[in-house]
Parts: sequence; structure tokens; C-alpha cells
Amino acid sequence: MTLGDGVKAAVLLFAAAIAQGSIFSEIHVFGAVPDFLLVTLVALALLRGSVAGAVGGFCAGLVVDTASLGTLGLTSLVLTLAGYWIGRYGETTGRDRAHAPFLSVAVVTVLYELGLLVVHFVLGESAPAGAVVRSLVPAILLNLILTAPVYALTRRLLRPAGREGLTAEVQLLG
Amino acid sequence: MAPPSRSSRAAVLASSVQRSKPTPYPSKARSALIRRTIVVLLVLVALTLITISFRSPTAGALHDVQGAGSTALRPFQIAATRVAQPFRDAYDYVHSLANAKAENKRLKKQNQALRDSVFVAMSKLSNYPDLVKLLHLEQLSTFPKDFRAVNAEVITTPGSAFAHTVTIAAGSSSGVRINAPVVSGGGLVGHVSNVFPDEAIVTLLSDTDSFVAARDLSTGVRGGVRTGTGGTLILDQVPKQDVVRSGDAIVTDGTRNARYPDIYPYGIPIGRVSSFGVTDTAAFLQVQVQPFANLGSLEAVGVLIPTKHRR
Repeated sequence: MTLGDGVKAAVLLFAAAIAQGSIFSEIHVFGAVPDFLLVTLVALALLRGSVAGAVGGFCAGLVVDTASLGTLGLTSLVLTLAGYWIGRYGETTGRDRAHAPFLSVAVVTVLYELGLLVVHFVLGESAPAGAVVRSLVPAILLNLILTAPVYALTRRLLRPAGREGLTAEVQLLG
Repeated sequence: MAPPSRSSRAAVLASSVQRSKPTPYPSKARSALIRRTIVVLLVLVALTLITISFRSPTAGALHDVQGAGSTALRPFQIAATRVAQPFRDAYDYVHSLANAKAENKRLKKQNQALRDSVFVAMSKLSNYPDLVKLLHLEQLSTFPKDFRAVNAEVITTPGSAFAHTVTIAAGSSSGVRINAPVVSGGGLVGHVSNVFPDEAIVTLLSDTDSFVAARDLSTGVRGGVRTGTGGTLILDQVPKQDVVRSGDAIVTDGTRNARYPDIYPYGIPIGRVSSFGVTDTAAFLQVQVQPFANLGSLEAVGVLIPTKHRR
């Protein structure tokens, strides 16, 4: 990941975090809120790998927690793990597969919501499991709607890596 | 089988084989290590932040830093909100429109139900004075002596223009007899023409076979109230030389001849003279009577039962 890519990714995640806290958090559809930041992080992790995903998730989580004056580090923890996991999936099997963004978003939406629920529960805060479970399906659908445009935008900003790393010619052995 | 040669084995072990230098950490394994280290570090930092933030949520350096960070981020949030405002307005408009349609449908239904109930209440209210009068019928000055009233609900009204009877929810078990006069709060309605144990048929004044001996309360002119042409009530058999004025009250005349007692006692209000006229060819005055009782929408009536045995 080049410096330019890093800057672009940082700006993208920062904008996504701000948009999530200011715009998307107020959209309620059947009890669910579309998670623009999570979808952007998934796109970044798929395109730039697990380290970028983990670092991006951590920083974006810090922005969210700071802006919302919530428990600092809580969102960071969950987003770090989500970014890392999706990044690993992209590095191993998911990259260059058309369904990878959608599958990743669907799965990570569930894990992210449940992860937040668990962390809140462990901290002794309000953890309405019923409401979270009921809003899972609408949340997945909303995030899936966001996936295509967000992934296309992220892919446009951050060209898929790895081409320069590939061997240009075949070396015959023996 | 030859014994194993210890010397040769030792020679092999002792030989100075040139070992290759230990290979540096493979790049793949190293990158995995770095990757994992970074993630673990980030998770630890996050956990630390959570711990500090959770233990001192309202004070401390981290709290101050978070407050400053939030203040710094505020302009960005405001900018994002302003950028999104038109889209939010559009969304709110569509959302409220969709809600308004459903709300409108629900309110229309509710409005219809309320309107129906208001109509029912108003129709009941319009009959309220008559019902009150009916309840206090026996206290009225016009209530005939030697009679008591059996109040009854009208359960069927005239079904067509050709029917001039109503069914009431009181019959012989309540003391209702055939030919008993029937009144409403306003005035005379008709008479009982058929009696069943718990129901009775009342023939209204508007029936063509109905005839009631009546008199003008003001002038004392006598005649008979019956249905004229066009279904209006007329005071018939009034000689031309008699005087009748518009607005005069017409009441039942009662028994004129003791040998032929009338079914209607004296003094029950029937109606008011609405118009009168005279023609050269007619033998009697043409006196039109507007009944006090609203014969078209009777809710309840009182059947007058004589308290003394009548022959």
C-alpha cells in the first residue's frame, strides 16, 4: 500500500465515519440503520488486505467513538476485528470474486452487530438482544444495497493491488 | 547377516558436512507475523481505551482528549448534515407522504364511523322531546282521565308508501287491547288494530280506513279527521257556514253519543289546521290538518288503556 493509497483510504474512511454519524445513523428502516462505514471498510479490506482493514477499522472506530462521545475504543475493537477478518478473506479466497463484497458485507454485518452486542453486554451496558436480532435482516439488506456503489467507488479510488507484484514472465526451471 | 559396522557409522557422523546457513524468516511467514502483531496491538490498544474510558467516563485525560476530538469533528459533522439536508428533506417528504396516505385512509374510515354515530345520535336527539313527553304523558293536561299509558318501542315502521301500520313491542300481556288509542309525545298516532301476546299492530291516522271524530279546540267546530287525496289529513264534514282558522288545534272529540262510545277519548291533540278553503261544488269546507305526531318516524308510542271497564 503506497502513501497515496494510504491517504486516500484515510480520507475515505474519515468521510464514511462522519457520514455514518451525521447522516446514516438517522435513517431507520424497520428498526435497522444502514452502516455506510462498515460497507466502506469491507471494500477497503477486500482491496487492500487485512492490515489495512484492521488499521482502517481501528481509526474509523476511534473517529466514530470520538464524534459520538461514546465509550472510546468500543467501536474500534469491533471494526478492527471486522477489517482484519475481511482483509484475510480477500487475501486468501475472496479477491477477484464478484460475490465477495456482498458475501463479506452480509456476514460481517451479522458479526459486527453481534460483536457490538457482546461488548455492550460485557461492559454491563444496555444490550437489547431481541431488537438487534429483529433488525438483522433489514440491516443486511440495507448494507447490501450500499455495497455495489460503495465497492465501485472504493475500487475506483484504490486500484486493486498486486498487479505490480506479480511475475511478468515465466522462468523455466531445470 | 553381517554385524553393523560401528566405525563406518561413526565416521559418517563425524564427517564435517558443510551445513547451509539458517534461512532467514520466509517473507510470507514474516508478513503473517507482522500482520498478527499489528492486529494484536490494535486490539490491545482498543481494550485499553475501553478500560480507561469505562473506568473514568466523566474525567481524566482521555475524556479531555475525546472532548477536544469531538469538538474538532463537529464542523465536519455539521457540513455533512448540511450536504445531506436536501436528501433528508426529500426522504422525509416521501416518508410523510406515504404515512399521510395511510393516515388519511384511517382517518376517513374513522370519520365515516363518527359521522354515522353522529347521525344516529342526532336522530335519537330529535326524538328526545317526544320521548320525554311520552314518559310524562300521564302528567300532561291533555292526557285523558280514566286511562293509563303503556309505553312501547316501535319495532317496525311502514315499509312502503302503501303501508300505514307500525308494529309495537307490547301486546296483550301488557294490557294492550284492540282499538286502543295510540299516542306519541306529540299527539294522536292511531289505534291498535291487531294484538299479539307481546306485540301489537297500530293503524296510523294516515291509513285510508282511519276516521277520528274531532273538533276545533278554538271554535268548537266538529268534523272527522281522515286521509284525503294525496295522503294529507283533512278535517272532513265541516259545514260551509262554520268558522275554522288556520293554526287552530284539532283534538279528538270523544264520545258524542253514550250509546255509541268512541274509541278515542276527548281531548287528545291531533294536529293543527294548516289551510282551509271552500268551493261552490263541495258540500263541506276543505280543511287541511298538519298532524302533531310525526307519523313517518315514530320511535316509541304510548297505548292508552282504560282504567275502568267500558262497555
